[in-house]
Amino acid sequence: MNRLNRDTLIAVILLLLVGFFMYSSFSIKTPVFEKLAPGQMDPGFWPRIILTGLAIMGLIYLFQSIVTPPPPAEKRGGLIGWYRHYKNPIWCFVVFAIFLTIIPILGMLIAGLLFVFALMTMLGPKDKAAFKRHSWTTMGTVGGMWFIFACLLEVQLPKGQYTGLFDEWLLVNVCGIVSTIGEIFADAAPSCSALLASV
Amino acid sequence: MIFDNIMLATSELMSVSTMLLMILGVISGLVAGAIPGFTIAMAVVLVLPFTFGMTAVQGLATMIGVYVGGLSGGLMSGILTGIPGTPSSVATTFDGFPLARKGRPGLALGLGVWASFFGGVISAIVLVLVAPQLARIGQEFQPWDYFALMAFALTVTASLAGDNMVKGLIAGLIGLLVATVGEDAVVGVPRFTFGSDAVQQGFAFLPVLIGLFAFTRLLSDVQDTSKAQGNLGAHSAESVKIEHLKAAKAVLSRWGNLIRSSLIGVFTGVLPAAGSSISNILAYDQAKKYSKEPEKFGTGTVDGIVAPESANNATAGGALIMMMALGIPGDIVTAVMLGALLIHDVVPSPTFIVEQPTIAYAIFIAFFVANFMMLALQSVTLRGFVAVTRVRMYMLASVILFYCALGVFALNNIQFDMWTLFWFGVGGFIMRSLGFPIVPVILGVVLGNIAENALAQVIAISTDPTMFLMRPWSLFFIVLGLFSSFFHVYQKNRAVKRWTLGFIPAMCVCLSLPVYMMDGVVRPILGVCLGLFGLYLFVQRARAGWTLPDPEPVREVGDL
Repeated sequence: MNRLNRDTLIAVILLLLVGFFMYSSFSIKTPVFEKLAPGQMDPGFWPRIILTGLAIMGLIYLFQSIVTPPPPAEKRGGLIGWYRHYKNPIWCFVVFAIFLTIIPILGMLIAGLLFVFALMTMLGPKDKAAFKRHSWTTMGTVGGMWFIFACLLEVQLPKGQYTGLFDEWLLVNVCGIVSTIGEIFADAAPSCSALLASV
Repeated sequence: MIFDNIMLATSELMSVSTMLLMILGVISGLVAGAIPGFTIAMAVVLVLPFTFGMTAVQGLATMIGVYVGGLSGGLMSGILTGIPGTPSSVATTFDGFPLARKGRPGLALGLGVWASFFGGVISAIVLVLVAPQLARIGQEFQPWDYFALMAFALTVTASLAGDNMVKGLIAGLIGLLVATVGEDAVVGVPRFTFGSDAVQQGFAFLPVLIGLFAFTRLLSDVQDTSKAQGNLGAHSAESVKIEHLKAAKAVLSRWGNLIRSSLIGVFTGVLPAAGSSISNILAYDQAKKYSKEPEKFGTGTVDGIVAPESANNATAGGALIMMMALGIPGDIVTAVMLGALLIHDVVPSPTFIVEQPTIAYAIFIAFFVANFMMLALQSVTLRGFVAVTRVRMYMLASVILFYCALGVFALNNIQFDMWTLFWFGVGGFIMRSLGFPIVPVILGVVLGNIAENALAQVIAISTDPTMFLMRPWSLFFIVLGLFSSFFHVYQKNRAVKRWTLGFIPAMCVCLSLPVYMMDGVVRPILGVCLGLFGLYLFVQRARAGWTLPDPEPVREVGDL
């Protein structure tokens, strides 16, 4: 597909979308019980201004794409060439979407471990040494970040439908130990500072 | 009053925890800035989730630390490996790398570090002096002026963001449209939610920003498998000792270049979307033009390192001026900071400095302090940089994508935000692949609600559209917006087509009218002077028969 066709196609899609949103903007209605005060802006007015601007720009873009001679198109070898060119980003999106889908089932920690390991394996080399490196890196980084967010920043990370008990156990034990150590330090701090002051 | 504010801000900023956070921020910025392909904005975006639990001052101080550190970090890889760590250090490599290869890497690094430091300090001074004055002017703004300012900011961003201005404007309008999704601010009627409860409150700004920027950027970085599997630093970087004393003396002895480049940096920072990636090249070009030995540029000359490094650090001050004085982000980093302020229920606007003096003065002081920290920590992070260059891009990208999801979730504890991140990541990547710039979309999302509120106020006061032309500031921004939208065409055809000779004089004459209409004595006089200057240029060029100057040889970035 050369650039002329591509840009023209994008412009047409853009104009169709603008038309759809413009049509939808007329269904933005103020409820009957909440009448607009005199001089109050209609809720659909601002979106319609933006959509009018987009329609004008879309038409200019369409005109430009038709009159400007297209630059020599990159040869990517059809659909297979296109897939090869965008293979990594496509897989990133797919794996990320799967990750988001399985979070409610497996929880943030396990889903995160699977996501990072799967993505590294997908994008990186696939030999034995790489697997080993990916495993250690995944455990270190995902575990570390889970620890920071769950234990130190006390963010309530999503627990899994099937791994809820495990998540709970981790929270109680790992974060519990950390808070115990913190309490010990907090208790020891006044006596330490008193000792330092006496020295 | 000012003294009280400074004391209050200092006491909040100078706590041990805040100082430690700032040090951590500067170190992270220095290391992140040194990684080729890892931008400063990305580093600030990644730090953002950690700031949710902090106070506004702590969070902003940490982010300023990352910002200043990142601006200076890029010079390490640029000078030692010839590959700029960030786009803001592109011009530093032109002379920094040759000087390092001549056997003076310590001096080259020292020049970069000290130029960054002085550039940062100069811009901090300008920030402290200009921001409150600009904010005072901003307080004169009525809704018409504020709306025209938003329109101007979007136009400039669109014209600077790429070759095709139409694509830039489309991107900006898409950003504005995204901001309309959810309940409207005036009546609370849902718009474009299509029955979904999840988008009833609209899209949260930060997931949109991280999706559009970080997600899209990372995917572009791993698109090429061989590059993704390679080390971050293509060459091995050697550990060197920075020659501080010699470098500081050399930088100070070139004070003219230093001040000029810093001011170029500040001015570029003030313009929305024109960040340090532009200022460093502009400053290098000007330094070469003013140099007595321009032929030595590119061979390892001191001026060639001082100019870009002082300019890129000074850009931060300019961007902060706009954010603090008018509530408009100068670049993506300040857009993230604006988002961080909104999390703490602080809305940047022309009244920001007056209403939130502690935060405002803390930003001033933090910017000063961060520059000193950067100077002290540069040598330490040099070792960290050598270690970081061994990391592979695909591993870093995988971990950061997970981290983005985690950080976005931590914002509101809503899983939908992670889907927002995903969908805007997909959208951003498609737009980028099709040649649409991303920055105008982000600015559109940031400014959307502010512009709508301003328009609602305008309509509530008067429905007469001619008010936009009757009010001086509004007219000023409309005229400036019109000229800036044609600036790209002007630049392309300068010294080629005759009409370009009339562009600047016409702009001066047109701008003189709104300046003349302003209140007071000074501004009308300035307006008259501006008009006379424009007329003088017209007459001068007419006398010369509207002849075009000899065309300059076309220069590529590498030839600068």
